Amino acid sequence: MPVKIAICIKQTPDTEARIRIAADGQSIEEEGVSWIISPHDEAAVEQALQLKEAHGGHVTVVALGPRRVERSIREALAMGSDAGLHLVCEPMPADASVIAGALTKALRPRGFDLILTGEQAIDLAGSQVPQRLSIALGWPCVVAAETLSIKGRMVQARRPAEQKEALVRFALPGVVGVNRRIGEPRYPSFKGIMRAKRKAVEVDVAQLAEGRMIIERLHYPPAKAEGQVQSFGSGIEDTVARLLAGHIDTQV
Amino acid sequence: MTEILVVGEGSAGSRICSVAHGIATQTGWRWARLRLSKSDTHAFAEAVAKCVQDAKIVLMGATAMGKDLMARVAEHLDVPLAQDCIGYRVAGSKVVFIRPLYGGKVLAEVHLAACPALATFRPRTQPAYQGAVAILEHVLTPSPHEMQVVWRKVGGGAALDVARADIVVSGGRGMQGPEHWHILESLAAALGPKAALACSRPVSDNGWRPRAEHVGQTGRVIAPAVYVAVGISGAVQHVAGIAGSKCIIAINKDPHASIFKVADYGIVGDLFEVVPALTAAVKALR
Repeated sequence: MPVKIAICIKQTPDTEARIRIAADGQSIEEEGVSWIISPHDEAAVEQALQLKEAHGGHVTVVALGPRRVERSIREALAMGSDAGLHLVCEPMPADASVIAGALTKALRPRGFDLILTGEQAIDLAGSQVPQRLSIALGWPCVVAAETLSIKGRMVQARRPAEQKEALVRFALPGVVGVNRRIGEPRYPSFKGIMRAKRKAVEVDVAQLAEGRMIIERLHYPPAKAEGQVQSFGSGIEDTVARLLAGHIDTQV
Repeated sequence: MTEILVVGEGSAGSRICSVAHGIATQTGWRWARLRLSKSDTHAFAEAVAKCVQDAKIVLMGATAMGKDLMARVAEHLDVPLAQDCIGYRVAGSKVVFIRPLYGGKVLAEVHLAACPALATFRPRTQPAYQGAVAILEHVLTPSPHEMQVVWRKVGGGAALDVARADIVVSGGRGMQGPEHWHILESLAAALGPKAALACSRPVSDNGWRPRAEHVGQTGRVIAPAVYVAVGISGAVQHVAGIAGSKCIIAINKDPHASIFKVADYGIVGDLFEVVPALTAAVKALR
């Protein structure tokens, strides 16, 4: 049966981007940063599209943030999503509970069956939005999903946790936070990119509560002393072997 | 009244006790460890929220379960949550948590303007706590929920989870195929029961090793005492997962591999010669 899916994405700096602290000491310099869909979220877009292809339905991409975020919404539309919802705010909130609250307010009245998102975004790594959405909506939630399927109204997902693993099942509506390892996202086709330009992106103002996780100061991690790098046979291997062996003795 | 609560059992929890003890020493607050009778995150989050609602600070290990549970508890209590912290600072009665952002390229000092303040701490970033611990027992009542567990598996992989290992021996594309992993297994075996295996993302993507061993920004984030990177080029995404390691040893035939920029010790050479030689040398020294 067709599923109405909302896929929440976050636009983050590219994993390769050089991150510089801005003059205020509390945010980063955005100039020169290239932006991507956070990798776990991008994998969630792929899952949404696969579910739609298998069962029929409708996929809405939802993103919160400043104007630049529209490009990421268009990218997810080019991959095959049907519609976009841009919750505009500037700057991006640092407190994940504020983001989850604004998403909940926007998603609740729109009647989705399934909310998909990445288990965490790679920028601030808050790791809490899917759970917060599910509790605010009173829906079940599984995170770190590495497989996802739907049969009728039942969602099934495999969730590994360290050395444990479980296959869980729940009836829609629900929330799933996926891990990138669930599968590679597709590249948008040329046709997809052309079509995306004509797809509707609804723009709304994000309803933000006051942030209570306050970034007081950003700083760079302490610089690492230069390591000792030498060719095999120079004796470095003995130094390393002694270090490793010494560690076996001292461990508790 | 106990102001600081450490939630959960296990070795991760005992390291979090160091944080609780540290904050307690500087603030004069009392701390205790809350033992959970059950841990299914979806069923017990509300019950845990009730147990901790009067505390000032609630701490838990940033394991998969810990992070999932605290995210739910935070929403039930309508308070902010700082996940994956690696440090803290106390100024008067104000506690500031330190957490890595942007894959560890920047560290943030964050203050939680709510009560209780919830934080999870990355495994192994804190010393193990040796002192006495007050234990609070709570029998938790599950909330009604719609989650059915079809099956559950424990273990099935390595004896020691990579996030709990003191020494991690990790292989990358340079290993050329899963059939060569025995040389890493031999080195890990020589390093004793506190050593575990890991791998880079291309390795798990190729299906050479289980996905649970993938270390990096989108995989596991670890902080062992020693990380041995074998045939790993050192992409930023990989380094984001290992930057907390106390000591990084890299083995690569390319002297310009970026892994050498973060390594404390680097051996430039053919891993198929270097690793067996290291294994033999370690065995001789034991």
